[in-house]
Amino acid sequence: MAVDAKTLELRELMLKKYRYIDRKWDLVFWVTAAFVVGAAADITKQLFAGDWDFWTDWKDRQWWPIITPFAIIIIGSALQYIQWLAWRFPTGMTYTAVSFWLCTLVGRWLQWGAFVYYPMNFVWPATMVAAAIFADWVLLKTRGSFILTSIIGSGLFTIAWWVSNYIPLAGLLQPAVWMDRVVTLADVQGIEYVRSQTPEYLRIIEHGSLRTFLGETQYVAFAFGATVTVIGYWVGQAIARGLAIWPIGRFLKKW
Amino acid sequence: MRRRILLILVAATLVTVVPATAASAHGEKSQEGFLRMRTVGWTDVHFSGDTVQQGQTVTVTGTVKIMDAWPSSLAKGQPNTCFMSMIAPGPVIVLKERTINGESMPTRIDCTKGRAYDFSMTFAGRRVGRWHIHPAFAVKGAGTLIGPGAWINVQENPAGFTNEATLLGGKTVNLENYQLPFIWIWLTLTFIIGMVWMIYWTVPKRTIAHLAVTSQIPLNTDGAAYGLITKKDHRNSTIMMLATVVLLGAGWIYQLANFPTKIPQQIIQFAPANIPRPAPFVTLEAGKGKAIYDASKKQVILETTATNTGKQPAQLAQFAVADLTWYNQAVPAAKPSGPQAVDTSYPMTVQSDTIAPGATQSVTITMPSDIWIHQERLLPIGESQLTVTGLLRFQTPNGDKTDVEVDEPLTPTAFTT
Repeated sequence: MAVDAKTLELRELMLKKYRYIDRKWDLVFWVTAAFVVGAAADITKQLFAGDWDFWTDWKDRQWWPIITPFAIIIIGSALQYIQWLAWRFPTGMTYTAVSFWLCTLVGRWLQWGAFVYYPMNFVWPATMVAAAIFADWVLLKTRGSFILTSIIGSGLFTIAWWVSNYIPLAGLLQPAVWMDRVVTLADVQGIEYVRSQTPEYLRIIEHGSLRTFLGETQYVAFAFGATVTVIGYWVGQAIARGLAIWPIGRFLKKW
Repeated sequence: MRRRILLILVAATLVTVVPATAASAHGEKSQEGFLRMRTVGWTDVHFSGDTVQQGQTVTVTGTVKIMDAWPSSLAKGQPNTCFMSMIAPGPVIVLKERTINGESMPTRIDCTKGRAYDFSMTFAGRRVGRWHIHPAFAVKGAGTLIGPGAWINVQENPAGFTNEATLLGGKTVNLENYQLPFIWIWLTLTFIIGMVWMIYWTVPKRTIAHLAVTSQIPLNTDGAAYGLITKKDHRNSTIMMLATVVLLGAGWIYQLANFPTKIPQQIIQFAPANIPRPAPFVTLEAGKGKAIYDASKKQVILETTATNTGKQPAQLAQFAVADLTWYNQAVPAAKPSGPQAVDTSYPMTVQSDTIAPGATQSVTITMPSDIWIHQERLLPIGESQLTVTGLLRFQTPNGDKTDVEVDEPLTPTAFTT
């Protein structure tokens, strides 16, 4: 098949060597930006879904799967747009996930573990890495369709996020006996490791109706979570397009 | 110049950090006086010990009453959901048992204004150190109301510290680190798979080279024709995605096999049984009392008119206000054994402290204002509710006791301290 001149020109441009902005720049950029991205994702998650992420006794089957995926997809979606637009890298969500997890881990370990002395099996941070890989993969396979990624990717994101965090939580949902009551081990952690100024009635779990689904409250939560995550995805897109790319375009008419 | 700036920054940091002492209180005195007095009253708070090794227990008992004078501005005047816990600087202790009116209390309870609750909380020392610990009673719509605190010394246990929890099947696990190795391994595996994805895409491909091309092509194309994303990239990415599926699948099978029985986190809320209490043998005459803050004499004076409806003389023994308990020094047994006792250097004097059976008389308590104002920040001058509220305890020669709520308007002679 004949190849046009423009295609040939762009192929050659891919191979061009640069003197000052090359591999070293990439390394410095990816590493330093990780702190900013991780912090942004962590702050967003803490603002919307902090308690559900902090404590095992908040990681329920109703509110946790609805609120947390919404909170954590926002910055990942923004990075997805930026990295696809700039470099055709389907890495925005995964880059956010690994940066975010490192930032959260350091914070959780230092602040909650070393400083305040909560046991880490009570306050371990949730991971979004596996979920992010699915979202990035959908973006790649749809060749950059953000609409399809928001629908299919968000749905896969929600389910993969829940599966990847339910696995470490499972052992703590075993029934245990505390005084004369049957509760989960996670509940025992919440009772025994005192949290001053955090009365238990503030715990928003298993709260609300919508229980007419033969006990499968969890799957209803997934449906709501996936829907709300789509909204979160577009909030992230708006941030990227409106706050990141559009202002740059105002000043740079030509790359 | 740079060196000078650096030295200044280091010095500034040291000046702010080095003189700082450890924070050792919980802000109980930062709450407004009316909030502390008119919400709950604490009596008979007692800690069973003050020095334990890690793992050994201390029990704190007492009674907390939701005052009849509960402010209408909190919880819409009708507290209905409550919770008890310990206030501590983090989980330096672990709460092992908690009862309210004799029933185990895992989480929250229904509560009612005017009712008294006998509590017992047993906690074990966890972190070595000297810690200020308080019982606390939280009311939805009002917040956490802190009770009298005590210093607890937690000493190191040579055998180390474990926190045993019992599964329903009888197996015991150490909550300090149960499942922790698996959690770290799992989270690390997912992190590694994410890093594999990132390294695959970012190490061989240069951002600057890609940017030069992507700036000239539409957004919704993967640029395969120009070498941005190749068929190999698609294939390898699908392999990584499938590896993620396999990892999740393996994890799912692992948790199903190892933890076949799981239940959701539990919501437990109940109304504790109302413990019948003897009818009070002293009543206060409504509208016939007052409280005065005498700024010149530095005194807080509480006047009330009380009637003894019992068959024995009733002597005023204590005045419990917020987390403090003043006691009548003429009654040696009146001094509380717990941390709420006001120091003897701040004595309460009582005029006409004994009421004969059937008699009605004025009872006047005088207290130094220093402790109200400077030590405890309890006198509500400058606040929106100028009242003094607390529990007067009367007792008879044969040991019967009754707590009567007093709630009198406060008139300061001056708004100076």
